[in-house]
Amino acid sequence: MDFIPQYLFNGLVVGCSYALIAVGLTAIFGLMQIANFAHGQFYMLGAFFAYWLTRVIGLDFWAGLVVSVVAVMLAGVVLERTLFRFLRGASLSSSVLATIALSIFLENLALNVWGPRPQKILSPFDSGGIELFGIFTTPDRLLMLLLTVVVVAVLHVGLRYTHTGKAIRATFQQREAAALVGINIDYLYTLTFAIGAGLAALAGVLLGTIFVVQPSMGGVATLKAFIVVTVGGTSSFAGGIAGGLLLGLAESFGAIIAPSYKDAVGFILVILVLLYKPDGLFGKWS
Amino acid sequence: MKGAARVSSPVMFGAVGLLLLVLPWLIGSGYYLHIAITSLVFVILATSLDLLVGYSGLLSLGHTAFFAVGAYAAALLYLHFGMPLWITLFVSGAVASLIAWLLGLLVLSVRGHRFVIMTVVFAEIGRLIAYNWTDLTHGQVGLPGIRPPVLSIPGLMHLDFASRPAFYYLALCVAAACVAIIWRIAHSPVGWRMVALRENERLAEASGVETQRIAATAFVVSAFFAGLAGSLYAHYNGFVSPDLFYFSYTTTMLIMVYLGGKGTIIGPVIGAVLFTILPEALRVTADFRLMIFSLILLLLVVFAPEGLVGLINRFTKRPSAGEKPADA
Repeated sequence: MDFIPQYLFNGLVVGCSYALIAVGLTAIFGLMQIANFAHGQFYMLGAFFAYWLTRVIGLDFWAGLVVSVVAVMLAGVVLERTLFRFLRGASLSSSVLATIALSIFLENLALNVWGPRPQKILSPFDSGGIELFGIFTTPDRLLMLLLTVVVVAVLHVGLRYTHTGKAIRATFQQREAAALVGINIDYLYTLTFAIGAGLAALAGVLLGTIFVVQPSMGGVATLKAFIVVTVGGTSSFAGGIAGGLLLGLAESFGAIIAPSYKDAVGFILVILVLLYKPDGLFGKWS
Repeated sequence: MKGAARVSSPVMFGAVGLLLLVLPWLIGSGYYLHIAITSLVFVILATSLDLLVGYSGLLSLGHTAFFAVGAYAAALLYLHFGMPLWITLFVSGAVASLIAWLLGLLVLSVRGHRFVIMTVVFAEIGRLIAYNWTDLTHGQVGLPGIRPPVLSIPGLMHLDFASRPAFYYLALCVAAACVAIIWRIAHSPVGWRMVALRENERLAEASGVETQRIAATAFVVSAFFAGLAGSLYAHYNGFVSPDLFYFSYTTTMLIMVYLGGKGTIIGPVIGAVLFTILPEALRVTADFRLMIFSLILLLLVVFAPEGLVGLINRFTKRPSAGEKPADA
């Protein structure tokens, strides 16, 4: 049973990346009512930008991290101002299909630019493994945990105490009423979209040091993020974070029972949640 | 459905029919005929998906799972029990619709994005099972050696459908029958109720439509034809693998439905044919193919959600007073 803390830790690390991706997806879905099936591609783009900046251009890791996150945020701004503005108020099937098309486009763009071979972002740390309380880990994994905690804390404080944060929460609850009291909805949409894209990119860079970077990673991430959103519920940011951690842990322990069906764990989780708590585990009306 | 009726006016209908009958003489029995047969399989898939996406307004992203299930059912029945196409065609359809019925009990209780996710998840589970249940499916290796049928009446005739033109006529008959049946369903009271479900579920419910049952009917019927197409594909291709569960198949079918015009039956038929030929025509730019396709889909969804049939109608005739293809 002494392997349990190790699986717990591994699950948490992967869960952090799911949480970072899913928070943005929840925000976009909750605020703009668009199911963005291209969201995972921001994660992929973030990882590839960082790979390209550090391995080809020769920037150091931290500069690469910042520049790639900012670049993906800018890409998010451009997409929000163009395509997603068209999709605003469109039917669910239109927005789903359009974002799926965007997703395929971005994935194949990456395939043509960077090739299909899995790549790796070099870790900024010299030391290899560390052992903490009987858990084997690496500095990259600790960085993932640390940065997720920081992001969640910043998001929490930002949403609760800043003017913009309050405006976002108000829009989340009642879009028309928020617009009526003078909140600039367009600005908030762009901001939320950019932050969501940036967080997914951050997850991509951090996970790229631990696992590999390849064009197909975006589609998988989208599916995982939607599982998280369905499990966690769409009504709160906290649901996305808790759902992400839960999925990471469930997959980690599922791998003990049936390694080849590891990915099915999330699917089963979704089915159970939809059967018994259709609004998500942390849903408002459940 | 005035617009669709206009496109399929009797003269056009006859001309297209004649063209399809003499096609093997026109294009030979080589690679082009192979594409023609493939497009016939996709005609069944796209029209069956149209029943779900176009008529009932249920955006299913797992349609290829029923196709793959049908293909696997046909492969296993042929390889283990020697069942020919004539039987597997119906058994595959039945197996796919049974699974759809069971799945429907689960997923049809939700709508909107949850339904979409559930259907994706279902297809992924199917792929995982096909990959990992190696005793049954041989995993990634797949199942080779499925033969086309042989029609043999002793002393009278011996027709081996392994020859490509023969299989073409077989596929043509099957596809035509499927499209005719799907057309019939879509233009029957059941089809009208599907449209009611798409347009306004609560209003339909209040008007006495058992929406849950209609949704289940659409799900099961469309799965039946997808499974049937799977059987046809398996016997033609001779090989099935877990790749059939891939999301890209579903995307292809959706592009066909949207390209032609959803909710028109004839639209997806045109879409299926065009979108099987188009990739071949764009062979030169193999690397950029998927990028081009995704752009086509994106532009279609944003600017021409009613597809080619809708575009033709928009330019040729006054707007019809009847139903317009509304969004799901």
